[in-house]
Amino acid sequence: MDMKRTVKKANDAAARRLYAPYAEAEWGFLNHWYPARFSQEVPEGGAIGVQICGVPIVLRRSRGKVYALKDQCLHRGVKLSAKPMCLTEDTITCWYHGFTFSIETGELVSIVAAPDDEIIGTTGIPTFPVEEVNGIVFVFVRSEDWDEDVPPLAQDLPIRFPDNNERFPHPFWPDTPSMLDKDAVALGVHRTGYANWRLACENGFDAGHLLIHKDCTIVQAKDWAVPLGIKPLTDQATQLIEDEDGPKGFINMYFTENYEPVLVNERLGVKASGTVPKYFRTSMFLPGVLMVENWPEEGVVQYEWYVPITDDTYEYWEVLVKRCPTEEDVKGFEYRFKNFYEPMALHGFNDCDLFARDAMQNFYADGTGWTDEQLGDMDYSIITWRKVASRYNRGIAAKPRGVAGVVKGASNVLAEIRGPAAGSYRKTKGE
Amino acid sequence: MMNAEVEEMEDTAVCEVDVRSVTVRFSDGVEHAFPVRPDQTILAAAKEHDVRLVHQCLTGSCGTCVTRVASGKVRMSTARGTSLLPSEAAEGFRLTCTSFCDSDAVLQFDYPSSVLDEPGPARCTAEVADAAWVASNVVRLTLRLPKDAGLEFRSGQYVRVQVPGTEEWRSYSMASTVADLPELVLLLRVLDAGVMSDYLRSRARAGDLIELEGPFGMFYLREAKGQHIMIAGGTGLAPMLGMLEDIRMRAGRKPKVLLSFGCASEDNLFYVDELDVRAAWLPGLKVKVAVANPGEAYRGLVGNPVEVISAADISDPATAVAYLCGPPPMIESARAHLERLGVLPENIHAEHFSASAA
Repeated sequence: MDMKRTVKKANDAAARRLYAPYAEAEWGFLNHWYPARFSQEVPEGGAIGVQICGVPIVLRRSRGKVYALKDQCLHRGVKLSAKPMCLTEDTITCWYHGFTFSIETGELVSIVAAPDDEIIGTTGIPTFPVEEVNGIVFVFVRSEDWDEDVPPLAQDLPIRFPDNNERFPHPFWPDTPSMLDKDAVALGVHRTGYANWRLACENGFDAGHLLIHKDCTIVQAKDWAVPLGIKPLTDQATQLIEDEDGPKGFINMYFTENYEPVLVNERLGVKASGTVPKYFRTSMFLPGVLMVENWPEEGVVQYEWYVPITDDTYEYWEVLVKRCPTEEDVKGFEYRFKNFYEPMALHGFNDCDLFARDAMQNFYADGTGWTDEQLGDMDYSIITWRKVASRYNRGIAAKPRGVAGVVKGASNVLAEIRGPAAGSYRKTKGE
Repeated sequence: MMNAEVEEMEDTAVCEVDVRSVTVRFSDGVEHAFPVRPDQTILAAAKEHDVRLVHQCLTGSCGTCVTRVASGKVRMSTARGTSLLPSEAAEGFRLTCTSFCDSDAVLQFDYPSSVLDEPGPARCTAEVADAAWVASNVVRLTLRLPKDAGLEFRSGQYVRVQVPGTEEWRSYSMASTVADLPELVLLLRVLDAGVMSDYLRSRARAGDLIELEGPFGMFYLREAKGQHIMIAGGTGLAPMLGMLEDIRMRAGRKPKVLLSFGCASEDNLFYVDELDVRAAWLPGLKVKVAVANPGEAYRGLVGNPVEVISAADISDPATAVAYLCGPPPMIESARAHLERLGVLPENIHAEHFSASAA
């Protein structure tokens, strides 16, 4: 038999050019709202460091309110969060030489060891807007040339219901809750994935990847009829969401006439098992937040963020939201989260996704994967996402300077993997 | 609005013997005053008193040293040809390299004084990476600059290149941006006769070496609260492509942009697909493509890129900023048309093809 050795690339150069800005965005999109930490991770009086899109950010809670500043002292560039020093309620001090900044404005207000230095009051570090909603601290990661009003957090979160019931009906489940709803409770986990953030995004709504979940414990235990794949049939399968002052993204219209579930592959003798119908729907929004409606159970929605840390690491957030009007509802949701959703869904089910994203990284790490990949029919929504993201991002993060992850394999990176940096020099070899 | 004294100045034939005082005012509010002798051009006087002004050719050809007379009588030399259009002269524009003062005057410059602190033009030898015909009369010339070229530029500016094998230099706007360096893309109009046209038609090959100098010009994206209106005739599209990239890369909400691009005939059209791509990247971008003399099968807009713009295309003329690039008659008609639609004269920036563009 004659084997086809040259394969036609479905995504030719002209098609790729339409999403060239997305391909440039190795370090993510700036000027968007990202989850930074859960509220409980930022205790009163302390300071904690995160990195988003290559921007080091220190979160400091003072008198209940969370402030975000650039986590890089302007003096010698160390992270303020490496060894937090908070001498007054309205400042944060660099532990190294005592440069002290207003947490409100970022201004250099004093230097511990040089209170009369002339640079005091003439300079400072950037600050970032913060919103704390339902137990999550969100930061607007702005570029230094951003001089506009900050858009509301709602523009960077998934669409809400019942507002969108007519436009995107959902006959198989009740109105999907939102992070911003009254009575909403958000519970979740976050952890670091070792792949580019875009690979993580594209895994989230990938209609063809259900195969990796076929053998998951939760699917088997609940006898869910999860298809092998979902095949788009019409140009309405994916619908754009691009309202002027709303979130920008798209929704996959699963379980409508626009999609056909693939239940069997005769050639390979594989069948979707399970007898209990499992209805759900995915939608994706800038800057990279997925909504899985009716998941893992009725009345619950799963949000996922893939927050770029560097160009080869991202923070994977899985957050479940449920409306809990009574204290008893809250307790019930917390119990089920701890004993069912977290182990079986957020870990059991989604661990397969983390594995798949990490597995893609080598192919894409040097940039060639974006041109060498062979996309197929199932990847319709991936191309849609790339185009939407190219069009509506508020700025592409340039490769940063002087921060963690720019220089690969540096000795300090290896040391960080080994253990916490501060104080580690007390150890001696062989200890 | 036009200054009455400016209008009358053409009548002042003889300059008085007194030394005049000229005040130059930059767009960032910085001002300098210096004396100008009657026999001295404004640019020469500025140089004598260490006041820096952007300029290049010193002969009235390139238009780089243009200013707008806010008050006073300023007369252009009649002893030379000039690239300043009659309509521009009537608006109060003057070229400082060939202008004399007949009274004290205040001159408004369309750029901030900080521009003068930017690095000056660099010179290097570039290599032709590719010369591709993109239309019946347009070649896209891709140059590769040496690593140490030191060429930084603003999108919209131009470079001078020496036609290989000749002593002739020509000026072309960059169609690429600094992000594309060391690659530099130029769009060249090929005419029936001309040394560059001959080179492109018969000799241009990848690997050719080309002397290059730049950047020059004050044509670049302005800070605008409102819509950007770009009108491009033929290869006048080049600077617009760079400026569209600037808009895309800039942080923040994207402004509304109208790009009207026109060519004489269908086989002169180029980059139509590229403009579709740009419109996909930029939600606020509206593109109009017009052909002046189309064939019968043509289904697109007919006309020149100026007349296809209507009042409905301009959301708020008072805040709009316009960029014009093309042959002089297009610039003249575009300026008049936009002013009729309410765009303020000071918000209209033009770069025209010089006569020796071939």
